[in-house]
Amino acid sequence: MVWAIGGADAQPGRVHQQIAQLWSEENPDTPIRIEVLPEDADGQREQHALELQAEGSGFDVLGVDVIWTGEYSENGWVESLEDVRADIEAVTLPGPFNSATWGDELWAAPYNSNAGFLYYRTDLVDEPPTTWEELCEVGAEVGAEEGIAGFVAQGAQYEGFVVNWLEYYWSTGADLFNEDESAVTFDVDAAVEVTEWMNDSLGDCFAPGFNTAQEEEARNEFQAGNAVFMRNWPYAYGQIQDDEGSPANGNFDIAPLPTFTGTGTISALGGFNNAVSAYSNNTEAATDFVVWAATDPEVQTLLAEESLPPTMASVYDDLAGDPVMSLLGEVLADSLPRPPSPAWNEISVEMQRALFPAYNGDADAQSAAESVREYLESTIQ
Amino acid sequence: MTGTSVAPDPGTRSGAGGGGRGSPRAVRQGLSEKALGRIFISPSIALMSLVALFPVIWAFVLSLYVYTRRQPEGFGGFDNYVTALTNPRFWDSLQFTFVFTLSSVTLEFVIGMGFALLMNQAFRGRGVTRAAILIPWVIPTVVAAQMWFFMFNVTPGFINTIFGLGNFNWLGQSGTAAFAIIFADVWKTAPFVALLLLAGLQTIPNDVYESGKVDGAGPAARFFHITLPLLKPAILVALLFRTVDALRVYDLPQVMTRGAFDTESLSMLVQQYVVRTPNPGLGAALSTITFVLILGIGIIFVRLLGRDLVIGREEGK
Repeated sequence: MVWAIGGADAQPGRVHQQIAQLWSEENPDTPIRIEVLPEDADGQREQHALELQAEGSGFDVLGVDVIWTGEYSENGWVESLEDVRADIEAVTLPGPFNSATWGDELWAAPYNSNAGFLYYRTDLVDEPPTTWEELCEVGAEVGAEEGIAGFVAQGAQYEGFVVNWLEYYWSTGADLFNEDESAVTFDVDAAVEVTEWMNDSLGDCFAPGFNTAQEEEARNEFQAGNAVFMRNWPYAYGQIQDDEGSPANGNFDIAPLPTFTGTGTISALGGFNNAVSAYSNNTEAATDFVVWAATDPEVQTLLAEESLPPTMASVYDDLAGDPVMSLLGEVLADSLPRPPSPAWNEISVEMQRALFPAYNGDADAQSAAESVREYLESTIQ
Repeated sequence: MTGTSVAPDPGTRSGAGGGGRGSPRAVRQGLSEKALGRIFISPSIALMSLVALFPVIWAFVLSLYVYTRRQPEGFGGFDNYVTALTNPRFWDSLQFTFVFTLSSVTLEFVIGMGFALLMNQAFRGRGVTRAAILIPWVIPTVVAAQMWFFMFNVTPGFINTIFGLGNFNWLGQSGTAAFAIIFADVWKTAPFVALLLLAGLQTIPNDVYESGKVDGAGPAARFFHITLPLLKPAILVALLFRTVDALRVYDLPQVMTRGAFDTESLSMLVQQYVVRTPNPGLGAALSTITFVLILGIGIIFVRLLGRDLVIGREEGK
């Protein structure tokens, strides 16, 4: 069998490879092999699309980003997993489980989850900030004293920018759609406020090169000791901790992301689910594999050990003493999914097209926000 | 033909059956040389049309249908072309594509010519120089793009360090982002132009230069009155290859900026509608437009080239 999943070689400890090996040892009749897809989500989706559009049976198990569920099921690319729903639902966290459903039907088995953390330098800052304004004030001030930047995050024009922007936007209390995605609740004023705040922070609290940075550029900056704060996924924790030459090593901690309201935390839910390709010739074994990966404590603990957040609730209880896992449990409870609409990719591209130039000062924030609202409305009519 | 020709009298040709082969009438028997040639070449033409034309025609047919996220909705005539041509993104990407093509091909030509003239000289270490000049061309474009992304990016910022520019954000501003992409393309492809021009330079016989020298032509005069005119076919081939290639640029801007800061090329737009936010009809319309554009420019070049080659041949007679 072939498991087409992204970034398999870039994962800490090559954890996907470890899991594939574990399965192949236990099931010598139906071994699984990883087809390594690109590291970035857009690239992975393209590879899937090319194979599935041609109805190719080359991929049996698909590593599906949480936002693709709607699209893949609408396209008939994945098998329904309703038959094994009970097994999976019983052990999985509710957020990740919902991300694998579309139209009340289960289309994938949760595999790993993800949420954003605020990384901060404990030798430079006593307490992590609770609001974004405070983060930028402290960041700019401490950064100027130390001759380093205030804040690094994912500010390049790609899906990660939309994730970061939504975390700011959601943390004002606003949302994109109502509960069942039947009406647009996009708040133009909040969007303008957030976008203008980003523009003001450019060149001040935001690190140089903020608008070309993805996950790895941000991590490199923070790990090299060039920033006070960083927004990133949990994977960075282990990497900085393992790098003994890093100025941040031993001098950093993680906290929930700040908000604009000053209360609680909001993170965009990330992660991958495993789906069975509708064109697979090994549907049965593939289904067994995805269920196993979602429900086997050994697999899920292996993910946790490599700082890739598992989706199995009991693993968080077992690892309550681990600082990353216990904070993750908290943050995941307050995380919000991007709308799992089949139109999500179009929405994301439109948001990038409108908001990215606005935050860089190349376009007007008001008209950018209005065009996003218009586009969202066009997707539900 | 055989039916209409008068049968030779068997009596006069007794015992000389083989002699008929040499007679002019026998040569005309059967199909003409031209017709035979057509028959022999037809399988290749059929195969070529299948391989080359089928996708183009298929894309055109696809571009006449309306889709919503891969789901066909029916025949839409030229709706997709209207959508494409009224979208400001199309014009923005067309503008970038043209600016990119014009500036990179011009620079590549000038630098490539310099390289070619250098490589054509006989001097010690010529082999090493030739190899050094050709290295960038051997590196795959995506690898080169990723490399220049690192070089131009603020972190680790090699270019800023070398030139003492601090935190200058090459890839994070309009204008400089396009410059960085054009720079990377020139670095990568000037050697290719140099290679084509060098091949042309080596076909120019040395005695032409020598007689030029005898007639008192200086280096500049020799370059403009001997080298350039005789190099014209090679120059046209180089410009044709580079222009057609630059018009469909995808990998450099995709890796270096992902189309941010007005660096979205036509091919990136096509790719988006074919794969990323699938709308096969619109994607096909955009790719058909791109095809027609490149074909048109290609035809202009081939016309110029063809005429030049014909003239060159007649002069040679």
